[in-house]
Amino acid sequence: MTTLWDTTGSAVVKELAAQRRTGGAVLSGVALTLVVVADESRVSDAEEAATHAAEMHPCRLLFVVRRQIEAPAPRLDAEVLIGGRLGPGEAVVMRMYGRLGLHAESVVLPLLAADAPVVAWWHAAPPDRLATDALAVFADRRITDSSIADDPLAALKTRAADYAPGDTDLAWTRSTAWRAILASSLDSVSGRRGEPVVVTAGRVEGDPANPTARLLAGWLSSRCGCPVAVEEGTRKPGESGVESVVLTLDQKEEVRIHADRKGGAVISQPYRPDAAVALPERVLGDLLSEELRRLDPDEPYSDALESATGVSDLADRSPMREHVWFDPAEENGNGSRTKKRAAAKTGDS
Amino acid sequence: MNPNPLRDPRDRRLPRVPQPCALVVFGITGDLARKKLLPAVYDLANRGLLPTNFALLGFARRDWGDTEFAELSREAARQHARTPWREEVWEQLAADITFVQGSFDDDNAFDQLAATLGELEGSHGIGGNAAFYLSIPPSMFPTVLKQMQRTGMAESTADRWRRVVVEKPFGEDLPSSRELNALVDSVFSAEDVFRIDHYLGKETVQNLLALRFANTLFEPIWNGHHVDSVQITMAEDVGIGGRASFYEKTGAARDVLQNHLLQLLALTAMEEPVEFSAEEIRTEKLKVLRAISVPEDMETFAIRGQYEQGWLAGERVKGYQQEEGVDPKSATETFAAVRLGVETRRWAGVPFYLRTGKRLPRRVTEIALMFKRAPHLPFAETDTEELGNNQLVVRVQPDEGVTLKFGSKVPGSVMEVRDVSMDFLYGEQFTESSPEAYERLLLDVLLGDATLFPRNAEVEASWAVIDPLEEFWAGTTPHAYRAGEWGPRAAEEMLAAEDRRWRRP
Repeated sequence: MTTLWDTTGSAVVKELAAQRRTGGAVLSGVALTLVVVADESRVSDAEEAATHAAEMHPCRLLFVVRRQIEAPAPRLDAEVLIGGRLGPGEAVVMRMYGRLGLHAESVVLPLLAADAPVVAWWHAAPPDRLATDALAVFADRRITDSSIADDPLAALKTRAADYAPGDTDLAWTRSTAWRAILASSLDSVSGRRGEPVVVTAGRVEGDPANPTARLLAGWLSSRCGCPVAVEEGTRKPGESGVESVVLTLDQKEEVRIHADRKGGAVISQPYRPDAAVALPERVLGDLLSEELRRLDPDEPYSDALESATGVSDLADRSPMREHVWFDPAEENGNGSRTKKRAAAKTGDS
Repeated sequence: MNPNPLRDPRDRRLPRVPQPCALVVFGITGDLARKKLLPAVYDLANRGLLPTNFALLGFARRDWGDTEFAELSREAARQHARTPWREEVWEQLAADITFVQGSFDDDNAFDQLAATLGELEGSHGIGGNAAFYLSIPPSMFPTVLKQMQRTGMAESTADRWRRVVVEKPFGEDLPSSRELNALVDSVFSAEDVFRIDHYLGKETVQNLLALRFANTLFEPIWNGHHVDSVQITMAEDVGIGGRASFYEKTGAARDVLQNHLLQLLALTAMEEPVEFSAEEIRTEKLKVLRAISVPEDMETFAIRGQYEQGWLAGERVKGYQQEEGVDPKSATETFAAVRLGVETRRWAGVPFYLRTGKRLPRRVTEIALMFKRAPHLPFAETDTEELGNNQLVVRVQPDEGVTLKFGSKVPGSVMEVRDVSMDFLYGEQFTESSPEAYERLLLDVLLGDATLFPRNAEVEASWAVIDPLEEFWAGTTPHAYRAGEWGPRAAEEMLAAEDRRWRRP
């Protein structure tokens, strides 16, 4: 590991190349570059998750931590690690001070692995319009996490308004386990009947303010063509915000899946005894690694988001974004107040 | 109409999950079941890949209660599982595990097994679907299969499937494998029989198909115009362990050459399948296996060996004849090397050198394509003295990945070309959580996906290759090699006879 204080982008590129030469075979087979945009307070979480994901998907990890946009002199500190704290691959953690934070791409672009896909992940509040962050513009896939926003439902709406194919959200990833159980439960109903199943109504019980619960309901409603509401549950649900899902089927049947809060779920369906299946809470690294598995646009997500937020025609948008210049210091004139606001913006939330 | 509105072909996040079913394991107390099957079932459950209604039924002679059995399987799963241990997952799974005690010739025990299976249909909602895993010696197959036929357990009907999983060895020669196939096929229909060759469950083996058929780079040179020869090696550093009685009757050729090595050869040499489906891939593999020719000069090109005492990895190890349970005059081979041909337009004239052995310097399996030398080198002869054949090596285990070996200039003021290798590493670090071969294959059985399972015609075609070799070897003494060497001298001479040499893996 080498730490470079008050350095330049080209020094970082040189140092990475130097470490690659001495590092040996661990470096081969890089499948993508993962650019992680994190707040200082969330860096260690993000590092842990990215390291976990890199075990499954050999990648180059680039961390961008923007600090003190109002600092008078721009400055770059960088840590270059190969085969160290951040797993077996190559990683660079960069802290950018002052106006450099607005030009992070000038440091990141030369560090991208040659001709490999780029994934950008905000473990921080992403900009309302992703196009205002140049890092989002050259990424092939963009991962946000609405659940860490102060108002997750508003964040979901913002994501829908700004959506372009290739966007995805970890709130959606958190629904995968539920979706898998729901789909295989209906498999077993249709397998027993030997004929198709029609879902006539459904409801999700849990936390209506949780974006995952909303997306799950949105997905069910987009797949089944019937409205699916999120209703307040009786207990405090887990991270997914879902306590149970009830689907009303044709032939007067009903399937009900209930989380037992012990890392499992109980499936109740007609003509079959109740069955328990595993439904563990997943760590952040696991979610991220699921995202890196496929890098093409996720249509089921855009359908679910459409249906959860009422914003339409998401899938028809252009997957290309064009960079829009945005300077937080210019937002409301040039006074010192705005500088403070800018600091608050890049700070915690 | 889509039978399930929640299934969407665009939705690649949702895993393939089998229909409700039971897995019945005969010989649940055996080594394989404890070290591979039970952990694989746990890993599947942990990944959420088991159906919502699932039951595991163990059958063995030992007299155990459900609790003792649950304790044993818990220990086994915990010790050998690849995914992190989660007690709550195991508890849910444990509730689905039942043990039936009895011997294989006991009618009552099988009636009870059938009854238990019937009960599970109600209590666990498995819908009558069941896969039977025969984790037992092949000599027991007839008894067990007849019992299953008698109790009607083996019949697939329109609303339920019944499948059987058979482990290698699939017979010991062509006639016995035909007999075994006929027996299994008389009880189960051909598409319900799954023969496990765990090598085919490995990621790299599946990657071989991706490497060949998803790229444009390799296929144009994947033929006799460019390939000089192919070497397939499967080396083990271990001896025979406690398997003396099995190994004495079997030997390296039947144990490894007949199945793993010939399957690897088939995947390397096969034509492009019409589509990536079980039926099409098996069709192409079968064509290759049928096209294999054995050497005419067996004296030179079919070598077998047996290890003597020696030093391996810093330890003194016994010779094969001194191993416990082995006849001191045993003529069973622990090493086999053979030169095969594939008589097709693509491969005519290209030798396929296959070798396998125990107590070799290291554990390694790889497929190496040796390319022809460039027809003309514009360099001075002394410049290219260190230049060998270009090679493309698929490393199956360990260090799974691909190596490309080619000439490159040595830095400096003179023109000198030497071999360098370029590695693609699936690296151990990156495959930590890729599924174990058994896990993958077990899931495929429950899903009914036969892509990675050889069918009976392939097994028979493989025996047709091995039988003439065994016939030639019968009554001869294997060449001796010291433990810790890359096989007997005769194996080196076999390649030297054609001006080639083994690649050191």
